Amino acid sequence: MTATAAKPAKLPREQDPRNPTKRLAAFFDPGSLQLISADDDSGMLAAVGTVDGVHTVAFCSDATVMGGAMGHEGCKVVVAAYDRALADDAPIVGLWHSGGARLAEGVLSLHAVGLIFAAMTRVSGKVPQISVVLGPAAGGAAYGPALTDVVILGPEGRIFVTGPDVVRSVTGEDVDMLRLGGPEPHGRRSGVVHVLTDSEADALAQARRLVALLGDQRVIEPGEVHDVNLAQQLPESKRRAYDVHPLVATLLDGDSMLELHQRWAPNIVTALGRFGGRTVGVIANNPLRLGGCLDSPSAEKAARFVRMCDAFGVPLIVVVDVPGYLPGVGQEWDGVVRRGAKLLHAFAEAGVPRVTLVTRKAYGGAYIAMNARALGATRVFAWPGAEVAVMGAIAAIRILHRRKIAEVAPDLRPTVEAELAAEHEVLAGGVDRAVEIGVVDEVVEPTATRSALAAALAAADTGARGQHGNIPL
Amino acid sequence: MSHYVDAELVASVWKVVASVGDIVAPEDTLVILESMKMEIPVPAEVSGTITEIAVREGDVVTEGDRIAEIEPS
Repeated sequence: MTATAAKPAKLPREQDPRNPTKRLAAFFDPGSLQLISADDDSGMLAAVGTVDGVHTVAFCSDATVMGGAMGHEGCKVVVAAYDRALADDAPIVGLWHSGGARLAEGVLSLHAVGLIFAAMTRVSGKVPQISVVLGPAAGGAAYGPALTDVVILGPEGRIFVTGPDVVRSVTGEDVDMLRLGGPEPHGRRSGVVHVLTDSEADALAQARRLVALLGDQRVIEPGEVHDVNLAQQLPESKRRAYDVHPLVATLLDGDSMLELHQRWAPNIVTALGRFGGRTVGVIANNPLRLGGCLDSPSAEKAARFVRMCDAFGVPLIVVVDVPGYLPGVGQEWDGVVRRGAKLLHAFAEAGVPRVTLVTRKAYGGAYIAMNARALGATRVFAWPGAEVAVMGAIAAIRILHRRKIAEVAPDLRPTVEAELAAEHEVLAGGVDRAVEIGVVDEVVEPTATRSALAAALAAADTGARGQHGNIPL
Repeated sequence: MSHYVDAELVASVWKVVASVGDIVAPEDTLVILESMKMEIPVPAEVSGTITEIAVREGDVVTEGDRIAEIEPS
């Protein structure tokens, strides 16, 4: 569990940009930093301070000592920081820049790194844990961030289990740190990283935003929620795909949207933000990517987000426009049944208020998975004309009326299909039918949606939260 | 180096919007696919000149099939 890090030119410790005191001071509110560990050569430094006034614990790798390698003394510093965070009920933030366990200490350092993992798991779901990876985070230093709730990557951040040298000697693959564990693989392919940033300052700023959102959630003020026409963010044609980001951004207050996993599984959007001043989580299908279908990665991404929000008492708004689960051999063999089940489980167990808004359509198994009434949604809204059905009306009548359609002359088929679809919609797929059987509570105009969601969330927001950890699904 | 745009899912090609020689910017629509009852635009991911459109209207594409090639500018 080690890797070699590039050796930068040696600067006096006070001037070194990797100096942990400097990094921690840059993270906390000015003047609020108080060290809670000795500033020695343990390889880790811990502190308390405030972030927008929120009492917060943080620790930082000391990359000026052995490239930030983790020995048992440094690991003790981190475990003590975790104990402090739990005792203070405070968010904890780790700033990582470490080649992994200290080789010279042998198995003693591995044991110590393991104790950090145990501490992280102990507080999981109790206090928010945020990781900022500022340099290489290899081996044990990779799994540290991976066990936390949110991972932010700085531009120099590289995360991998085994470094390029070992990969080369074992597999013969010639790969550098960037391609092995940089922003591209972890932002788009692996889902290890939640937030990519352009500078170390931005990485710390994003961590501060997350601390404020999770550590200072506030209460919803329905009077502060003003209505706008949210339908303006959708194309006129119901069949046309569109990017859901503008809708989510408009739904939330001002520019409060902070998206997690933006590039990974982009067919679903997961974002934190403020709504009526209160922290909420939004989950939205994104029709622009894969038609907005659910698939294995998007179900896992959403499930982990739901469980994180539930653990920290963050209410959820679920924006639904989903044609179904993505069909295909690849999906089935990839375990879409097993991995999709995580989202069903996450919603069904969630104790936070969670409201659903069906904007255009909710079909099939994906309808259930997107926080349907059956899974215990607090309230389900739908826009006029939305469809809630087992499948699209045309697809359904082609199956139900296969013989009848086959008997019709080909040139008349579109007309006949349209008639049958209209009939079918009234019986099985229209929003009126969904209201009648109680799976949709209320049809709401796009121009009255923000206030309706705010009222529903405010009425249900009793401070309930899930009593579970946040396993990195 | 040429930039390749590939299909993300099984779909039929509903409309070919761009042509070889067009100069495109990121998010410009190249073709519109139809799948899962949806019209799904396939955008250019880079700025450049289109050197190949590998599909025709009505074609069926599967995940990973080449849709277009762009020479980045």
